[in-house]
Amino acid sequence: MSNKNKLRKVASRKPRFPGLKYKTKDKPGVSLRTIQNSSWCPGCPDHMILESSRRAILSLIEQGHKKENFAMSAGVGCHGKIFDYLNISGIYGLHGRTIPTAIGIKLGNPNLNVLAFAGDGDTYSEGMAHFIHACRFNPDITLIVHDNRSFSLTTGQATPTSQLGFKTKAEPLGEFNQPINPIHLALSAGASFVARCNARDIVHTQKIIEQAIKHEGFSFVEILQDCIVFNLDINNEDDKMYKLLDKKRTMKQALKYSQEFNYNNEKNKIPLGIFYQKHRNSLNEEWPILNKLAKSKKTWGDLKK
Amino acid sequence: MRLNILIGGKAGQGINKVSTIVSKTLINQGYFTFNYRDYPSIIRGGHNFNVLSVSDKPISSHESKVDIIIAIDELTKQIHEIQLKKDGVIIDYKPFLNEGRNLNIALSGALASILGIPEKALLAEIKNNPKTNNAQSLQAAKVGYKSQSDKYNLKKLNNNLSIMSGSQAVAIGAINSKIDLYIAYPMTPATGVLHELAAKQIENKMMVFQPEGEIAAVNMGLGASFSGARTMVGTSGGGFDLMAEGLSLQGISEIPLTVYLASRVGPGTGLPTYNMQGDLDIALRSGHGEFPRVVASPGDPLESIEITNELMFLAEKFKTLSIILTDKHVAESEFSTSQKPKKPLKINITRSLPHKTIVKSSSYDQDDYGLTTEDAMYATINAEARLEKYEEIKKACNSLEMTKLHGKTNSKNLIIGWGSTKGAILDAIGGEDFKFLQVLYLKPMSKIIKQEMQKAKNIILVESNLTGQLGRLIREKTGISIKKRILKYDGRPFTSDELNKQLKKYV
Repeated sequence: MSNKNKLRKVASRKPRFPGLKYKTKDKPGVSLRTIQNSSWCPGCPDHMILESSRRAILSLIEQGHKKENFAMSAGVGCHGKIFDYLNISGIYGLHGRTIPTAIGIKLGNPNLNVLAFAGDGDTYSEGMAHFIHACRFNPDITLIVHDNRSFSLTTGQATPTSQLGFKTKAEPLGEFNQPINPIHLALSAGASFVARCNARDIVHTQKIIEQAIKHEGFSFVEILQDCIVFNLDINNEDDKMYKLLDKKRTMKQALKYSQEFNYNNEKNKIPLGIFYQKHRNSLNEEWPILNKLAKSKKTWGDLKK
Repeated sequence: MRLNILIGGKAGQGINKVSTIVSKTLINQGYFTFNYRDYPSIIRGGHNFNVLSVSDKPISSHESKVDIIIAIDELTKQIHEIQLKKDGVIIDYKPFLNEGRNLNIALSGALASILGIPEKALLAEIKNNPKTNNAQSLQAAKVGYKSQSDKYNLKKLNNNLSIMSGSQAVAIGAINSKIDLYIAYPMTPATGVLHELAAKQIENKMMVFQPEGEIAAVNMGLGASFSGARTMVGTSGGGFDLMAEGLSLQGISEIPLTVYLASRVGPGTGLPTYNMQGDLDIALRSGHGEFPRVVASPGDPLESIEITNELMFLAEKFKTLSIILTDKHVAESEFSTSQKPKKPLKINITRSLPHKTIVKSSSYDQDDYGLTTEDAMYATINAEARLEKYEEIKKACNSLEMTKLHGKTNSKNLIIGWGSTKGAILDAIGGEDFKFLQVLYLKPMSKIIKQEMQKAKNIILVESNLTGQLGRLIREKTGISIKKRILKYDGRPFTSDELNKQLKKYV
């Protein structure tokens, strides 16, 4: 658009105040995909996470869910751009705060299917407290962590899941802190649904995300993805990955599997799939008023006060 | 007629019970009361005291000199004897040691008796509370009552009064505004509202949620408001600092949010259970970037009810941030009043909500589709839209009571203050030659302030802080610098008798 045209457009545009009314539309021929062009690096597995999520939501819509009843939150980092590409409601929130934002969206309307997209820096660094407490509170939301094991939008510093020895501009001597194991941590903190996926496996990831959204309570999906620009040492580990059998596991068994891969760049196998799933009363079920709203499919605004 | 009664003892000995029983009995007798609570951050032990001020006319402060001391321990006598007036009375705990846990009830009886309140009225009040409605408590009250005789002769008056703290009032204001969610992490002195609303949540079809911290609280608040709940979050200064980034997110995402900020003494942990008007600056400016907001500060419970409603209304109407700024002195002191609040403004949610359509709110600058843009044109128009919004907010606030004038309206001696100093100022000026301009709205600010200052000969600023934050704000907005300042920053609120002396020095 020429500058002159832009000026004309701006002049004709009503200011946002009183705001929050936007046109939204799908990219022609691609449901749930906005019209914005992707700005992720070409070949970044974030594209695949977007596609898995899009397909999971589409599949749920086919099963009878309303498109308008999906909402998302995103933190800030490479993962966060998914907000601009996935055409569902939501808040593009603050770095590290995607979980409380998502819990808030759920509290504000217990009938929404809420997805919290987050990065590894987002969840395990800046927002760690929120992660642990979400496992404990058990709100009925789905946390999807794009774990590329580096802060990539800030040009590649180490995150809490970076492997030992990872050299970056901020850690020139190499990372000397042991990485945390998010699967083990989530299980210990009481999460009622814990899964891990490989971003490149779109079909499997879609299936897991779908199951995670259907799970009533806090569902945590950790997605391992390559960073093809900054943390090359962790790339292409597909041959180490294997899928867990689709069956119920006790906490003890789940903890055992969670320790197979310790997030260091070692030769161990990397299990994928649902480690653990057990129903426990969610926030919706625990709180009388939320329970009432969810059961009657009503919103706060419908209540006579 | 005015009496000040100091009730002192260790934390856990039931000082509040004495002042509650006696003040409730007094208002039933038609007397105006004001109860100041002074306590350190100690759960059991230490030294706490309340000053219960009583009058046949409206009051909203306590005085430094006291008429009666109720000493539940030795320390109270040692510390406070110096405040006792010449003809004052000390009621000692020793004769009532046999009453055990009902020592405080016995002392309430003794106090009621010396004030001249009928025994029946006292016993009725004790029976009113399920915790004290038992034979031992009633017996203790009778023993106490018998030990003294009528000295102050408080005859029944014909006033219809009720007692309320600022915290209770903010909760009522929120309920009047049909609040759906209150999200807060405990922090004195904001905790009062958390407790009040939590106790009332079921009957008022609302929910009170205590998350893992203030950062979570503000982000949850925005999330909940986004999806359609009328939401308020609450905290004190330290927690408000943690919320700052969330406030900034409000500024760009335009998701309505009301924040209750009850100040205490900073910096840092400061004096956590004491009072300071030290957080005006952060209420006005906290959060990076430039975005509109409303800040208002009530001076008593009645105003707390009204301002809470007004600010929740403005937040929703203008998709803006509004901050109810109060402090420990208003939040935790108990005021009596005969007045009723204004009819609450009705809050309608007319914006797009996620379950109806697709709504995208963002911490990034957004284009027409709600998607991220870094385009200079959009940056300009979005920034200017925020400015334009503030102009609209200013217009709307003009129809609200942004300032109040008290005292002699033709006086040339103008006192300017805000928030919790209101009570002491009103009682200090009494019928004397002063006019008091109370600033309720601090952002936006009323033009009346400049007009009143231009009319006055003598301008005196009264604030409970170190640097005169309202004074600085007024200088910024009007260009007028107030030279005569009465500032108090020891964590203790102004007492009306001392403030009266200080004001007179400036006239």
